[in-house]
Parts: sequence; structure tokens; C-alpha cells
Amino acid sequence: MALIKVNTRGQSSNLGRRNLLINGAMQVSQRGTSSTGVGYQTVDRFAVNQSGFDNLVSTKTQDTNVPAGFSKSLKLATTTAETALAADEYGNMSYAIEAQDLQSLAYGTSSAKSFTLSFYVKSNLTGNFSVTAYKQTGSNKQQDRRYTINTTNTWERKTLTFVGDTAQAIVNDNTAGMYLYWHTAFGSNFGTATYNASAGWSAYANAGWGAGQDINTLYNSTSNYIQFTGIQLEVGDTATPFEHRSYAEELSLCSRYYHTSFSGETTIGGSHPANYSGKVFSWSDHYGSSPDRVAFNYQWPVQMRDIPTVTMYGNQWTSARMSKYNAGSAEYTIDYASGVSRNGLGGYYDVAGVNGDFVVAYVEALAEL
Amino acid sequence: MDINVTITSVKRFFDFDGNEIGYSAVMDDITRFVPIAEGNREYQLIQEWVAQDGNTIVDTDVPTP
Repeated sequence: MALIKVNTRGQSSNLGRRNLLINGAMQVSQRGTSSTGVGYQTVDRFAVNQSGFDNLVSTKTQDTNVPAGFSKSLKLATTTAETALAADEYGNMSYAIEAQDLQSLAYGTSSAKSFTLSFYVKSNLTGNFSVTAYKQTGSNKQQDRRYTINTTNTWERKTLTFVGDTAQAIVNDNTAGMYLYWHTAFGSNFGTATYNASAGWSAYANAGWGAGQDINTLYNSTSNYIQFTGIQLEVGDTATPFEHRSYAEELSLCSRYYHTSFSGETTIGGSHPANYSGKVFSWSDHYGSSPDRVAFNYQWPVQMRDIPTVTMYGNQWTSARMSKYNAGSAEYTIDYASGVSRNGLGGYYDVAGVNGDFVVAYVEALAEL
Repeated sequence: MDINVTITSVKRFFDFDGNEIGYSAVMDDITRFVPIAEGNREYQLIQEWVAQDGNTIVDTDVPTP
């Protein structure tokens, strides 16, 4: 008879829901699949930051070149090189973690736990790069860990363990509890401290920001790129295999931070779907002696992290506009959308020129950290 | 180490009673409606923007019911 060993309850850790990050496999990309912009532009939850560059154009794409078992990655490719990296220039890919999702780390107590970050990376460059964990709760603190890309143009999995913080708790709310920064390149104002592979949390200083990184040439040549996928953060000092989630589950989790009425139908500036898919319908009328008014009611698919910023687009993708149903490309100005909550928007808005018609608008809601 | 967003202009809107209800802000050439919510990232960016010399939020008229 075959015997199966069953772990005693309480002895095993991190069973299920191990990954504290959302969209680590880069599956969801509601804003589009390619951009030269900065900030949140392509794959959800991951921002690409560039500060102070004079010439640089970096293209971010949701890419299909992936390690086995994955379908998407985020690629950062240098399209126009930075001719000279100045001292104060820096770039990175970042992820912000909601504070209430980090309470299992028990920061600020004697039981504070380590966490382990694992990810797949590929680049034409080899050498030492680094990831900085940064938190703003109370005094600003950081902790830097080095990883080495050993072989060009080859997917490699990296594992970095960060030690816990017994001194400073993470506030239990919906603000940013911690940021992770994968450094791409930075100037001589940063990362000058001697790298210490076992250092704990320390007060923020430019010298420690990326201290483990030696390679800052990503933006020097249009041949250079770096790409990531399979990013996982789990409690403890051990990296386990990447926890794959369904696309539907990741999309739902991402929608707490960003949502559009046109997700999956089109992207901002894209071609308009048939049958008005992705547009929010409404109607207009007079109210007493008021000007033309539009009544609007739309519910977000999940409750958002905070009251979101709302953008409305008309038929020509102009912001702060809406259009009449089945009436061509004309757009009508909306000054402000009130009545916005974490659950949706509802109200009536003055929109001159639309009286008596059905109106339509694309709606975008932002509640990123 | 915040994300770069270029704010061009900000208008402040009010309810019928004259209470501040939000902003219309041109951010990276897109006009966005920003709520009065301290946890909202765009609201925080507007506070940083207006704290810089020369940047002013323009008040709109209080609407009539």
C-alpha cells in the first residue's frame, strides 16, 4: 500500500495565495500593449519611471517572449539613447503594495518576518543590477538587494530575500505600504554606498538607492533591453514556484486600481468597436430651467482602492468630452464629473448641446497608489 | 521618487452650497476629474503642484440648482 505523508496542520507555511503581488505574470494590460510614456502605461500595476533624461525614448511593451510556463512579459527597450547619463538622472520599474496587504509581515513587532522576491529577467546586458524596497510609513526607509544577470538574451530566475523591520510598523490602511524598484539605470548621485548583502532597513539616502547595481548602461544604446515576468513576493525566506492565477482573477484584482469601461474592447486612441461596445450610455434633458443636463450612472466592477480620478472621452478620444449616440464624431464638453465614489459614479452634469439625445462616453477610473 | 506627471492647469469646482467638490486637471495633456480625497494619487500630485511657486488653482463659479 502506498503511503502519503500529510503535513501536520500549522507546520507548513505559505500554502495558497502566496504571491502578495498582483499581475506578476504581466497578463493584464488594460491601458495598451506598447507605449513610450512614463508611469503606468502598459501592464497593470507596474509603472516605469524616468526622471531627468534629455534624449531617452524607452519603449515599454507587453511582450510574448517569455520563459516556459508564461505567456506575457514586460519589456523595456531603448528606442532613442540617452547621450550622456547625468548625475541626477534615474530610471526604474516600480510596484506599489497596498499597506493592508502587508500586515502578515508583522513589521514593528519582534516577530517581523523576512520576505522573498523572485522574478524572471532577461537582457542583452550582463552584470549586477539591484532592487530597492522602500517604505514611507513614518520615516522613509530602504533596503537594497543585488541580482546578477549571468548570460545575455537568456531568461534567468532570481531570488532576493529582504529582512524584516522590527522597529517600524506598516500602517493598516489603503495607502502604499511599500514600493519595490527594479533599477534600470541611474547617474552618479545614486548607489554610491558599499553594497552590503545582509543589510537591513536603513534611512533613505541617495547613496544606498541601488547600492548593489553596477550596470547603468541600459539607456546608452538602442540595442539594449531588459524584460521581466513571473514576479512574486512571499512571506518568509524561501522562494516557491510562481503562483499562477487565472486572467479573470488578475483582471479583477487589477480593477481595484484601474478600470475602463472599454477594457477588452479597445484602448485609448484605438479604433472604435462595433455596436458601441465599451461606451457608457446615458440620456440628456432639461431639469427645470437648467441648461442641457446629462444623467450618468455607472458602477465599477469592483470597489476601488480610493475614490478614483475619472476621465471621460468622446468619439474622437478627446478627454472631458462625450458624444451623441449615432451622431458621428461630434463631441460635447463636460466640465466636471461629480458624484464619484469607490463604487461608481452617478450624477447629472451640464453638457451644452446634447439636449434630448442619448449620449455616450468612454469612462476611465484611476485609483493607483 | 514619484512618477513624473506634467500638470498644466487645475480648476476647482463647487457644489450648490459653495463646498469644494473636486478638480478638473490637465495632466499630460489629458483633462481628468480629480476628487477631494487624500488617498487619491492625482489629488496628492495637485497638492504638490500648487505648493510650487507660480502654480495656482483657478476657482470656477458656484453652480445654481
